[in-house]
Amino acid sequence: MKKIVLFILLIVLIFSACEKDDFCIKNPITAKLVIDFYDDANRETLKNVTSFYVWAEGKDSIYSNERISSISLPLNSLATETVYNFSKENIINQFTIRYTTQDEYVSRSCGYKIIFNEVTFLSDNTWINDFTPETLTTLDNQNEAHVQIFH
Amino acid sequence: MCKYFISIFLFFMVVDGFCQKQKKDSLAIPKDSVTYKSPYGIRVGIDISKPILTSTSNSYSGLEIVADYRISKSIFLAAEFGYEEKTSEEDYTNSVAKGNYIRVGFNYNAYENWLDMNNEIFTGYRYGFSIFDQRLNNYTPNVNTNYFPANLISTPTTSSLNAHWSEFIVGLKVETFNNLFASISVSYKILMSVKEPENFKTLYSPGFNRIFESGTGFGFNYTISYLIPFTKK
Repeated sequence: MKKIVLFILLIVLIFSACEKDDFCIKNPITAKLVIDFYDDANRETLKNVTSFYVWAEGKDSIYSNERISSISLPLNSLATETVYNFSKENIINQFTIRYTTQDEYVSRSCGYKIIFNEVTFLSDNTWINDFTPETLTTLDNQNEAHVQIFH
Repeated sequence: MCKYFISIFLFFMVVDGFCQKQKKDSLAIPKDSVTYKSPYGIRVGIDISKPILTSTSNSYSGLEIVADYRISKSIFLAAEFGYEEKTSEEDYTNSVAKGNYIRVGFNYNAYENWLDMNNEIFTGYRYGFSIFDQRLNNYTPNVNTNYFPANLISTPTTSSLNAHWSEFIVGLKVETFNNLFASISVSYKILMSVKEPENFKTLYSPGFNRIFESGTGFGFNYTISYLIPFTKK
């Protein structure tokens, strides 16, 4: 009887050891900015951007020559402003995102994530007609699009 | 003549009765007379794994003193106290926990010894308490992109913390030489309360070891202890 109790205790010990916190399986940790493109004439429907290039000032393209209606862009956590160039059929529209950053602890394996607060969006409206919203109080997940752009 | 016969009868009866009685005694006496006394006293020792780890690993240093006191045939009051310093190097953070701890409780010996042996297969319970400092040396925000990489942030922050926990132990003790015991044990620890630092987490507590996501932990002890016997019972 005593031996059985000891054995059960040992089994419990062995199996409860299997906990997964060595690898970060949550993804993404720091949220990217998600933008959806809508038709300016019919604001309920998504509209693809054609011959679409996206790059940040002085960096390589994230999207090159694509035909899509939704993009996700990383924001520079070391600055308070990220400037993206959206090029549609060789017309460049600058889109600026301004924010403050905050580090928030997630877990042992995932470390710290960046939360972007007081986010404001600016556009020099060349091929973009309009966008909404102009400000966001906080950007800390990618559950839905943060900005809707009409063109 | 008659008296002579009766005497013979009586004589035989007595012999018969004597034989019965004698037989009973011869069975009972050896069983009662052979009792092996076992020593009672205080046993003190150290965890030998910790000095070895201290000299081989540069992310760990520690020392643990163990003691137990036998209060009945199979129950021992037990305590351990020690000091530990451990660097937790994770993918995105680097922190050091440093402090003291104490564990008090009891062991129950479930092993029936042969003859005069004093070995143990035991289970036990401990209440543990630690006071320590955790310093976050540096961290890199997890931005999961190479497009805008993040920098290492090295502004150490220290927080004074404490933890309370319960632990369940299973182990073996063997008397290797007279009064000298070698022991190995495994413990499963459940955190009861812990003070968490601000915008960070307590990743390691002295005496508890690594704190898993669910507030549990494991410990292994390899001890050598010496029994100072007070009495034999």
